[in-house]
Amino acid sequence: MAKVLMIHPDKCTGCHNCELACSFEHEGQFRPAASRVQAYTWEREGMTVPMMCQQCDDAACVKVCPTGAMHRSVTRANLVDWDERVCIRCKMCTVACPFGNARYDAASSSIFKCDTCQGAPECVTFCPNGALEFVDDEQQVRSRKKAYAAKFKDAFQEVS
Amino acid sequence: MTVRFFATIRTYTGETERRFDDAPATLRELLTALAARYGTLFRRAAFAGADLNPEIIILVNGRNVLYLRGLDTALSRDDEVSIFPMVAGG
Amino acid sequence: MFGWTGTTLRVDLTKGTVTREATDIGLAHTYLGARGMGGKIILDEVAPDTDALSPANKIVFSPGPLTGTFAPSAGRFEVVTKAPLNNVIAGSNSGGAFGPELKYAGYDALIIEGKAAKPVYLWIKNDEVEIRDAGAIWGHTTPDTTDLVRAETDEDAKVACIGPGGEHLSPIATVMNEMHRAAGRSGVGAVMGSKNLKAIAVFGTGAVTVADPERFKTAVMKARKMIQEHPVGGTGLKAYGTDVLVNILNQTGALPTRNYQDGYFPTADKIGGESLAAKQLVRPKGCFSCIISCGRVTKVDNPAYAGFGEGPEYETAWSFGADCGIDDLDAITKANFLCNEYGLDTISLGSTIACAMELFERGIITAKDTDGVQLTFGNVAAMVEMTRKAGEGEGFGAKLAQGSYRLAESYGHPEYSMTCKKQEMPAYDPRGVQGIGLNYATGNRGGCHVRGYTIAIEVLQNGAVMDPRITEGKAGLDITFQNLTAALDSAGACLFSTFGIGAPELAEMLSAVTGVEYSVDEFMKIGERIWNQERLWNLTQGYTTADDTLPERLLKDPIKTGPAKGEVNRLGEMLPEYYQLRGWDDKGVPSKAKLKELSLN
Repeated sequence: MAKVLMIHPDKCTGCHNCELACSFEHEGQFRPAASRVQAYTWEREGMTVPMMCQQCDDAACVKVCPTGAMHRSVTRANLVDWDERVCIRCKMCTVACPFGNARYDAASSSIFKCDTCQGAPECVTFCPNGALEFVDDEQQVRSRKKAYAAKFKDAFQEVS
Repeated sequence: MTVRFFATIRTYTGETERRFDDAPATLRELLTALAARYGTLFRRAAFAGADLNPEIIILVNGRNVLYLRGLDTALSRDDEVSIFPMVAGG
Repeated sequence: MFGWTGTTLRVDLTKGTVTREATDIGLAHTYLGARGMGGKIILDEVAPDTDALSPANKIVFSPGPLTGTFAPSAGRFEVVTKAPLNNVIAGSNSGGAFGPELKYAGYDALIIEGKAAKPVYLWIKNDEVEIRDAGAIWGHTTPDTTDLVRAETDEDAKVACIGPGGEHLSPIATVMNEMHRAAGRSGVGAVMGSKNLKAIAVFGTGAVTVADPERFKTAVMKARKMIQEHPVGGTGLKAYGTDVLVNILNQTGALPTRNYQDGYFPTADKIGGESLAAKQLVRPKGCFSCIISCGRVTKVDNPAYAGFGEGPEYETAWSFGADCGIDDLDAITKANFLCNEYGLDTISLGSTIACAMELFERGIITAKDTDGVQLTFGNVAAMVEMTRKAGEGEGFGAKLAQGSYRLAESYGHPEYSMTCKKQEMPAYDPRGVQGIGLNYATGNRGGCHVRGYTIAIEVLQNGAVMDPRITEGKAGLDITFQNLTAALDSAGACLFSTFGIGAPELAEMLSAVTGVEYSVDEFMKIGERIWNQERLWNLTQGYTTADDTLPERLLKDPIKTGPAKGEVNRLGEMLPEYYQLRGWDDKGVPSKAKLKELSLN
């Protein structure tokens, strides 16, 4: 059993509390540019989508890393961890990630990517709308699947 | 007598209004009857124990019952009662 | 500095210069930011006899010390300038993401002076600031302007801009940011237009720092919980938006109808938040750092009024709805989209169209004046068409874009303009709710509800209750709301956070962020000082106690139908006590003792 940081863009209202919580937790200040989660807004469509590292099982960043700095954590389930002590800042991980979820921060000479905050992600705590959920893998899509199942239930109840 | 429901109260009742040929004598009797009809969610919205829930706003002919006689406010057949949850804006 | 960035940016459009200044620390501590700081800058730097549309006026964009942090729903900023509508210190408040971005770029305030020789826009990327040619962008709507500016700057830049409304120098023109958020009142958009400033694009990658991170996080978690557990701040506003107010005001008998000729609109339910949620709502929207999400992303499918955008808010549903005798929410939503695109104040324009409708029905103006349009109450197509014309500055629309006071006065009948100090009153009939009438009459910027929102107590039972029909205690209520709101506005917080928290929580968060200890008393005093300062400016503009009044209609003509039938506003019972409690003389002039107490002498 492992936890998954699940994104529900349909519930996102574009408030950016996730970015604020992430940068505050990691940097001790409010700098959304330093946030490991980024929420992108399309004003004409009135929609915002948050994005962060998906902790791939077969991660491209792990594959290309020459030092093992990017590695699957052995202590925590479902986490791609970054060991800054052996990282040479070659930035190959940022090139390899197809989602753009790892970036190099020049100011701090670090690779920024979601580390799920020691298992209690701050973005999840601060999201006021349930657009981010840290949930057991078995229940990962339950809320979404069940919401649609409820529509079928209602439809069938009417007819039978 | 007409009772109108607004905002989330409508989701509890499933309708926007209800008419009565004869009015219950007091607001307490009206709300008790409506709770019996619409169920738990309505009852919890209307009552806090035996008292009126502070988070409900009830107007009788435009006057908030808090300035009339609360749950003991007398009702008559020509009255219009409006029931709101606390709402807001600007 | 914590909370504040320590830097103020000054741009002189005449000389084409950009100067970085250290933010005056004393000013910051005393006036916080946004409304207070911007107001003090205008007071100190703009001569009282300056023409609002002349190069000598200045316009300040200022966030607050809380802006850019995760203080709940505290991501706001103000546009402060001498108002083209009515010469007051206009402090127009907006949300979106522009305010926080200014902080991340490194600024407590952006002061713009002078006038560019040709249309320009400002591009601020952290400490790099450029004044750029806007020749190809001038004339465009605010959404198109936003896209065009981003194409030349950064695709994620936050853009504050004017539309044709501001370009035409309409005294009811807005500044729009993130396409759909408005610094709406008092014509601040016209000041940008008068300076040939089309837009400001900001991109910031810096930080807002906090003096005591642990104390701040604790205060924020507590404040968040209080708002989330509040029925309004926690669920009501997100579910229904501000438009949920239509029905409760109508059932109270205080929904101004047909240019305030009445206070009850029988088909109001068709334009309320419940209807909006069922028909036009796509999803809720929140400003930066907001946990309330009162914003409405909306869509109209009806081909006659098709569109996509945000809104309408309650005030807009009222101004283009009940006030015009209209119950078609598709058309109202379309009028709202048009106002956003052209950059015009929905409250003022809707109320101006309603005023024109009354002039038309009374035969004071005819179809010859209105470009052949039958501008009667309830004429949906006419309302939408006149909104578009006002945005274009076309025909009768150009007159509408002047606001109802100038419109009605030009035809010899200013009494049909429902304004205080020339600014249109919003959607609460003071004959049905006494205290809001006192707020309209004494409002420093004229007809306005947000700066003294007594409705929260008189109608909405938010924490306390007061009978809307009585005048007792309303003077004290108004003063408390006016003072608190002035401080709250200046901190960068959103008014709606008061559906949950109050001065104690705001003062605590402010103290934790800035490292400056603010008690509740000091916080309220800041608000009182700002209110008095705005009042002093108004005295220099020739405003007197005679202007602390309501239109005759509201003092003399009773509401005709509905639950508040027969009521008038009894301002005379409230105003003397208001002056007295404020420490002003019986002409409404702050006393020497009061000014000394507030260090304003």
